[in-house]
Amino acid sequence: MKARFPQRFSAWGLVRHGLTGDDWPKVWRSPELRRSYDVVIIGAGVHGLATAYYLAARHGITNVAVVDRGYVGGGGSGRNTAILRSNYLTPEGVAFYDRSLQLYRNLSSELNFNVMFSRRGHLTLAHNDSSLRTMRWRAEVNKVAGIDSEVIGPDEIKRLVPMMDTSDRTRYPILGALYHPPGGIIRHDAVVWGYARAADSFGVHIHQNTEVTGIDVDVSGGTTGRVRGVQTARGPISAPVVVNCTAGWASLISAMAGVGLPIITHPLQAAVTEPVKMFLDPVVVSGTLHVYVSQTDRGELVFGASVDPFASYSMRSSLEFLEELAGHVLQLMPSLATMRVLRQWAGLCDMTPDYSPIIGVTPVEGFLVDVGWGTYGFKAGPAAGEAVASLIGTGRVPELVAGFDLARFDDGRLVGEKGAAAVGH
Amino acid sequence: MTGTSFRLEDRPLRNAAPPNPGRRLDPRPGEVIDRSAPLSFTWNGRPAQGFEGDTIVSALAASGVRVFSRSLKYHRPRGLLTASFHDPGCLVQVDDEPNVRGAHRRVEAGMRVSAQNAWPSLRFDVKAANQLVGRFLGPGFYYKTFIAPERLWPAYESVLKRFAAGGRASAEPSHDSYDKRYAHVDVLVAGGGPAGMAAAVAAAAVGASVMLVEEEYELGGHLRWGGKRELDLLAEQRAAVDASPGIEVLTNSVVTARYDDNWMAVLQRSVFPGVRERLVKARATTVVVAAGLIERPYVFAGNDLPGVMLSTAARRLVNLWAVKPGTRAVVFSANAEGDAAAADLEDAGVEITRLVDARRGENIVRALAARHGAARRTGLSAVELGDGSIVECDLLVTAIGWTAPTSLLNMAGDRPVYDPTAARFRPGDGLPDSVFVTGGLLGDGTVDELVAHGSDVGRAAAARSDARSVRQDRSDRAAGADDDAGPARPAPLPVVPHPALFRSTTHGIVDYSEDVSSKDLIGAAHEGYESVELLKRFTTVTMGSAQGKLETVNAVAVLAEATGRTIGETGTTVWRPPYAPMSLGALAGRQFEPVRRSPMQGWHEAHGARPLVAGAWIRPDHYGDPEAEVRNVRTNVGIIDVTPLGKLDLRGPDVPLLLNLLYVNKWSKLAEGAVRYGVMCGDDGVVFDDGVTGHLGPDHYVMSTTSSGAEAVLNLVEHVLATDHPEWRIHVTPVVGDYASINVAGPDSRALLGRLAPELDLSPGAFAYMQVRSATIAGVTGCFTWRIGFTGELSYELHVPADRGLHVWEALLDTGRDLGCAPFGVEAQRIMRLEKGHLIVGQDSDGLTSAYAAGLDWLVKPDKTDFLGKPELAWVAERGGPTAQLVGLQPVDGTLVPPEGCQLVEGTTIVGRITSSRMSPTLGRSIGLGYVDRRLASAGTVVSVRLPDGTETPVTVMADLAHFDPEGRRLRA
Repeated sequence: MKARFPQRFSAWGLVRHGLTGDDWPKVWRSPELRRSYDVVIIGAGVHGLATAYYLAARHGITNVAVVDRGYVGGGGSGRNTAILRSNYLTPEGVAFYDRSLQLYRNLSSELNFNVMFSRRGHLTLAHNDSSLRTMRWRAEVNKVAGIDSEVIGPDEIKRLVPMMDTSDRTRYPILGALYHPPGGIIRHDAVVWGYARAADSFGVHIHQNTEVTGIDVDVSGGTTGRVRGVQTARGPISAPVVVNCTAGWASLISAMAGVGLPIITHPLQAAVTEPVKMFLDPVVVSGTLHVYVSQTDRGELVFGASVDPFASYSMRSSLEFLEELAGHVLQLMPSLATMRVLRQWAGLCDMTPDYSPIIGVTPVEGFLVDVGWGTYGFKAGPAAGEAVASLIGTGRVPELVAGFDLARFDDGRLVGEKGAAAVGH
Repeated sequence: MTGTSFRLEDRPLRNAAPPNPGRRLDPRPGEVIDRSAPLSFTWNGRPAQGFEGDTIVSALAASGVRVFSRSLKYHRPRGLLTASFHDPGCLVQVDDEPNVRGAHRRVEAGMRVSAQNAWPSLRFDVKAANQLVGRFLGPGFYYKTFIAPERLWPAYESVLKRFAAGGRASAEPSHDSYDKRYAHVDVLVAGGGPAGMAAAVAAAAVGASVMLVEEEYELGGHLRWGGKRELDLLAEQRAAVDASPGIEVLTNSVVTARYDDNWMAVLQRSVFPGVRERLVKARATTVVVAAGLIERPYVFAGNDLPGVMLSTAARRLVNLWAVKPGTRAVVFSANAEGDAAAADLEDAGVEITRLVDARRGENIVRALAARHGAARRTGLSAVELGDGSIVECDLLVTAIGWTAPTSLLNMAGDRPVYDPTAARFRPGDGLPDSVFVTGGLLGDGTVDELVAHGSDVGRAAAARSDARSVRQDRSDRAAGADDDAGPARPAPLPVVPHPALFRSTTHGIVDYSEDVSSKDLIGAAHEGYESVELLKRFTTVTMGSAQGKLETVNAVAVLAEATGRTIGETGTTVWRPPYAPMSLGALAGRQFEPVRRSPMQGWHEAHGARPLVAGAWIRPDHYGDPEAEVRNVRTNVGIIDVTPLGKLDLRGPDVPLLLNLLYVNKWSKLAEGAVRYGVMCGDDGVVFDDGVTGHLGPDHYVMSTTSSGAEAVLNLVEHVLATDHPEWRIHVTPVVGDYASINVAGPDSRALLGRLAPELDLSPGAFAYMQVRSATIAGVTGCFTWRIGFTGELSYELHVPADRGLHVWEALLDTGRDLGCAPFGVEAQRIMRLEKGHLIVGQDSDGLTSAYAAGLDWLVKPDKTDFLGKPELAWVAERGGPTAQLVGLQPVDGTLVPPEGCQLVEGTTIVGRITSSRMSPTLGRSIGLGYVDRRLASAGTVVSVRLPDGTETPVTVMADLAHFDPEGRRLRA
């Protein structure tokens, strides 16, 4: 089904509104909270909203509420560094993220909202022979799946990033890189807004400032029970299907339904500089130096690093993060010493033992999870939403996410993405 | 690169005319310029002059320059607004440095200053054409267009990218350096105005150590641009600061952030020549925030025209730099600061054509630009007032209220609260007891009241600091409850009612850096972006260089207006660190990542070794021909420097318990003089590290680890001893740096070592494989050596006191010359261990490889009571073993070496991968190790390997991991 917007976005629309000075229609409405929905989705980030959108667009299920304790896209969706790629290490990861990248590439026209996908190419630097070996491993896995991904040498890196110090005089000389041309960056807020607007146009209810305080499970019928709905700060909602699409608090929300998740939550910090004229096209990642950097279309450099080495729900920033980050950026591009950090922030990452997500059913009937995304959540949004919607709509687990079920931790079928995770953004 | 199109023309610019002496006033009592020290610099390639003490912008303004940049989106000319660090229109490029705050940075002789964001020139900018179509380019316009066809988006995007703001990043590293410093102070005072100075003096007077940090070049805050009374008080306060030995003053420095427990980041600018910036990391027992107030712009049509400025800007220009900001002025005033600005201007010879008094309900509606003449596009010509009259002027000064810069308080956990009486957000009540506030940031008062309050707060902060230190020192901590430690917080300052002025009846710019107008904000709010955070993200308001210091409150006020809420209900965005931008150079400081070098590394380099960066170490990869090195070891004898191997000295009666817990195999019966190979797993059963441990003497063991795992194993051992088994009597000492380690390998190694350790009985019966002996080698006492065989040859690993490492190394080569003794590097070692089928943890295993998958079944002893990973390994075994298995592999075409990382495939299904591969000089064919699915792991199975070019070639699964001497005859010789 195609979304039916009150007004489609287009260049002509801009001109008309420019001439008349009329307001645009609401990007999404503020409906009354009903007491009952077919599906309640917890978390109005990219995962929750994409799930709602695909439920409506692909499966005709529109009696859906997306509830969030804050504003749309205020969690991980608004705090990530908006890097997209599909050069993962495991065949499962490659297939899944490639689907997500495909959806992202066509998202602007699908949602009638320009999400500003910027194809830049993605470089993962290798500073020692062991990481060079891992890059080759990833490249080969990628190529088997038909993903454009190759190991390149220092000269080619220098051509792509003239500012990079590719000499052998540095502390950690650059030996090569995994180059993934389809990778890029995107306007992350636009993705969230685009999904929200499109879902809303189908009649999905988006309820901001509606914190979930409990999940109702009926345990009379069986041992682990069946979900009946949620309790929120604005009252109870009954629903036969409840989906946990949260990050940062995924294990706490699931615990409300009595479902334990093997998740440890770590803060992940990021920072942005003042803008300068464009000089850095690709996204550059270095695992050895624990840093990734890209330049937005606005000219700012956006930096990220590894998750903080301790578990915490705190989103406070630290000075140590900036110091280490700056040192490592300058090892890569020493001429950037005069660039200034304008802002730093932190988000939360739910880490699983194998660095792969948990999607699908739980022991509680009707309670589904789309969680445990670690540092990969934003990239995964469209494919995860599509898969969860398909699971709800058809009752069958899509092949693409079959390996990411919760039961794998009991069966020993881990999907080891750690090798692609050490700052693999 | 789009950046290359950015070039400023060198033609003379009329708006950068030669210095116009008419703009520089006669000496002012508080001026900071040194008229005896003129300076020359260039502005957009043209010569310009100023005096020492001038900022870049004050010098240019004194020469009649009114336009300093073009705005982000519409490329509108921008002039002076605040004449302070945060002036959004005054960001300039200075030499290689982008985004320099031109209204703060002092001018220096020879500086090359140029405007940013203008092409081809500041005066004529082609992108200013955007102004004509501005009505179509509302906030977020890019989200609504360029959607289809998608193939055209990259072309649109490249145009958008050209609008990236800011200067040019330097392509060459700077010669200046950056530095860091730690400080530990009792009281850190952020802000050197009257209240801050008073707080510092009062705290120092009672014995506190104080750091007083001021953003500008001199202490004084707003006293500096005041009248005689203020200047007198300033002199008095500065004298008091100077007379206080306990105060360290940092000027041109800014407290950029407060982290947990008063961990303060202080950015010190222009420290000494050659050091551009220094990051002072201060642990302050208490902090006094005296950041003052920031004047807020007024929103009305034309409020960004050059010639429209804030009252503080006008006063600073006149009184600090003796610059006349205009000739005919309209002053719009809602407070005493505005009135004072009018008086100062009059005193400076500026004609005040109208004082528009907001307190009497008067208003200004719009600023009008000159329609013709030289001032076209560059400035103000008249102001339309609320009564409809139009007043000609070239200067419009507004004084409509203040913003409290509460950033540091927010970082300490406080949330600001809107106070309708004061018409500004003010500090809330969420501060920890180690953070104090004083001065204008807190409330209103006369200068004397601010000073008195500052003194009270300074004393309280010192007392609290004292109490906190005492509490930390006190042994009976239980007695020290937080609330009895120190005096009460001084009562807050009162507030004086102030008219609530945010926007006039017209629309104007709210965010100067981002070109966001009040109309844009209202449109976005009506479109549904009603939360202040959503509004910020959608319109980019407050995301520019000042990070909301000038813009946030106006944006919130406009949003409140659009949504029919109060400002208090609307709330404000979170101020995130840093308060002022920090350079990457200052954050990084001096790079200090030393390389570890073995005592023999110099020798290696002198003998042509190719260096290999291996984590913390530099190692010899090879000395020219690794295959020849292999052949020499296999036929004669070679030596390799293995100093980076992890080594832990373990002493105590309970060491066997530790070894039993760490390793998957059994250790209780390791006899003195024996060595055993062991593998460690994590709790997840995944292979974590391997190495040998020797029993050197009574209760004395040495454990070796991989080079890369040395630190992790030490951490694990300390973790076990500190948390799981504190009762074990074990001392652990890392001794990597204490020993130089040399492996002597090859059939002649026994003969060679015999010559250097004559008293050691090396006969196979006396010193067998997997044994350890203490020894004197080449006259060096305190060595030990064990017989192990990573290379698969008869070999002795020598561990000698590090300072004698080179001596022993050279002695081996000298003594063994006739035996053909030669050094070999890491590459030859890797080839030989692969020939022998010895795995390298991390290369032939990954983050999910269990000990069983890595072919270590023979080692794992599930009957042991406990060891790390036992439950997981038992669980793997219970389920029939691992899904994939490490095996030896040989390509059917022995001339072909499939690169490591290549995948084994069946069609497009991955069934394994190659982890190690080399050409074997010993066997004359290619060999490898790799993982295959269990069903393919039996010897003789042929599997396809996919090469990087996409072609496939068959490889055979071998019976053993070892390709050479699988029985181990050589190493047991």
